[in-house]
Amino acid sequence: MSEPLISIDRLARHYVVGGETVRALDGVSFDIHAGEWVAIVGQSGSGKSTLMNLLGCLDTATAGTYRLNGADVESLSDDQLADLRNKEIGFVFQTFQLLPRASALANVELPLIYRGISRKERRAASEQALRAVGLANRMHHRPNELSGGQRQRVAIARALVGEPSLLLADEPTGNLDSQTGEEIVRLFGELNQRGHTIVLVTHEPKLAARCPRAIKLMDGRVLGDGPGAEVAALQAPRAVGT
Amino acid sequence: MRRAIQRAVSEWIEGVRIALSSLAGNHLRSFLTTLGIVIGVMTVISIVAIIQGLNQSFAAQIGNLGTHTLYVDKWKWLNTGGEWWTMRNRKNLGRPELEAIEREAGEAIAVAPMAGRAATVAAGDEELTGIRCTGTNERYLQTGGGTVAAGRFLGPSDVELSRSVVVLGATVADRLFPKVPWEQVIGKRVRVHGDPYTVIGVLARRGRMLGMDLDINVTIPFTTFLRDMGGKRSITIAVTSSPGRLAQLEDELVGIMRRVRRVPPEKPDDFSINRQDQFLKLYNQLTGALYGVAIGVGLITLIVGGIGIMNIMLVSVTERTREIGVRRALGARKRTILLQFLIESSVVAAMGGAVGTGLGLGVAVLVALLSPLAAAVTGSAVALGLGFSATVGLLFGIWPAWRAANLDPVEALRYE
Repeated sequence: MSEPLISIDRLARHYVVGGETVRALDGVSFDIHAGEWVAIVGQSGSGKSTLMNLLGCLDTATAGTYRLNGADVESLSDDQLADLRNKEIGFVFQTFQLLPRASALANVELPLIYRGISRKERRAASEQALRAVGLANRMHHRPNELSGGQRQRVAIARALVGEPSLLLADEPTGNLDSQTGEEIVRLFGELNQRGHTIVLVTHEPKLAARCPRAIKLMDGRVLGDGPGAEVAALQAPRAVGT
Repeated sequence: MRRAIQRAVSEWIEGVRIALSSLAGNHLRSFLTTLGIVIGVMTVISIVAIIQGLNQSFAAQIGNLGTHTLYVDKWKWLNTGGEWWTMRNRKNLGRPELEAIEREAGEAIAVAPMAGRAATVAAGDEELTGIRCTGTNERYLQTGGGTVAAGRFLGPSDVELSRSVVVLGATVADRLFPKVPWEQVIGKRVRVHGDPYTVIGVLARRGRMLGMDLDINVTIPFTTFLRDMGGKRSITIAVTSSPGRLAQLEDELVGIMRRVRRVPPEKPDDFSINRQDQFLKLYNQLTGALYGVAIGVGLITLIVGGIGIMNIMLVSVTERTREIGVRRALGARKRTILLQFLIESSVVAAMGGAVGTGLGLGVAVLVALLSPLAAAVTGSAVALGLGFSATVGLLFGIWPAWRAANLDPVEALRYE
């Protein structure tokens, strides 16, 4: 078996709040291989957001190791982390996080600016990414001229445009109605079919159940890791012996 | 390497684009923010333009006084000490001193007497009062008295024969003979202090100094002056040296003057030797003080403006916290964010500077039009205004930009 895309080992993240140490993440280990579609599921406070920030190289762990596509994330400087995020990770946020004053096209171009791609190539790649998410005729619209589902598609195009090795989606359907959410989930399915590795962070067991694999977190530890439908149905704490 | 350059260029372009779109998105706020800078730059530019205008006209005038000329006088020019009474009681300077200097001063290349009083000058129905009338000789121009624009200046025979001839200052010629070309003024009859004179020349225009018209004067032969205006006044003797021999000339003049006026060795000089430097010194003191005040006021205003910019940039950073988080998540380095906000504050300030420069120059031109003050518009003043304001924007933008760059991406993305 080839080396996993993501390999984390006893990863921990502790915060000190008011003199007390909060173990938001308390020794989590798993591997994710290229081409997988994995849900990280858990209730609020389970540590899934902390884990997402670590996977996204936005935060660094207190202990443990994290290898992303061959790089030891712990040893990287702030600039190197920025470059790693730019190259390896495509973010999709619950609240879309588009720049309000920029057109869809300009929003999608953003990661390529930080990579030093020429204007022409940027334009071409961004147009292609927008076409891939079905927004060929919305390229010059601003976010406030788009529906919620369209905004999330722009965000997905922005995440895809740099051809990252990992799509990291944080509650991507959280701000959408169920029908639009369904479209977005289907889009993720298609992207996965085309070979994209997707990590989807959610609190909804129903969404996790639709992913081929799910990792359930509770109190900063892994409660279960396996096929989505099974793991999503796990009930804490009696499902796993302590 | 090419990538890195391309990236830097893209980031710069993006920075300027963001700055402009942020300005465009907040018209009123941008306007109010830059107002401080606008006022500061406007103040500095207009005052600098006026001072430079003064400098130019003053430099031209001071040149007329003769750089290599000493003025032997009963009075010390621009005297600010308490010696008025001492000087009042000095013996007048007259012909004996003039003749002694003409005879004995080996360092002198030109010696001209200058007897003066205010006189009425008239031609036909036109009558001008309070015109400075100078009695001198043919050497006067050489000592720095100006240049002839039409006709001729006094000649040796005019002085020798006490001819009733007069050389008019430019303003006097224009007022007495409106719309008559200067060439046709030559030969006209005028009355100076009631006596008839013939115009033989018109002096070239010298312009204004500190708001005074320097061309309101008439020049007549020294001997004629003594005959018609009386010879009791003290005269000034202008003595010109060869270039670089001014100090030697001064030593020589002191010796001659003390001898001819019989000043005992233990007594101080009973005369003064003046030079144009004295004006220059006083002038430099005055404008130096003015410069200092202008720059002080301008700096304070710019600092106030800078604080305004800093304040608005801090607001801008707070408002755009999530945007900063997004950019960081998408791969912007800290220094990219830093650069972005520095560009923004500099652009805001430079735009204020540009508007302020334009207004300042407008004010200077207006002042020059409506008052006797001159104004000079120089490129250096414009560059100064723009450079200064952009620097202020840069300096006062550092802290907000640094705060923006050092936001924690996780916190920034979560910011509501």
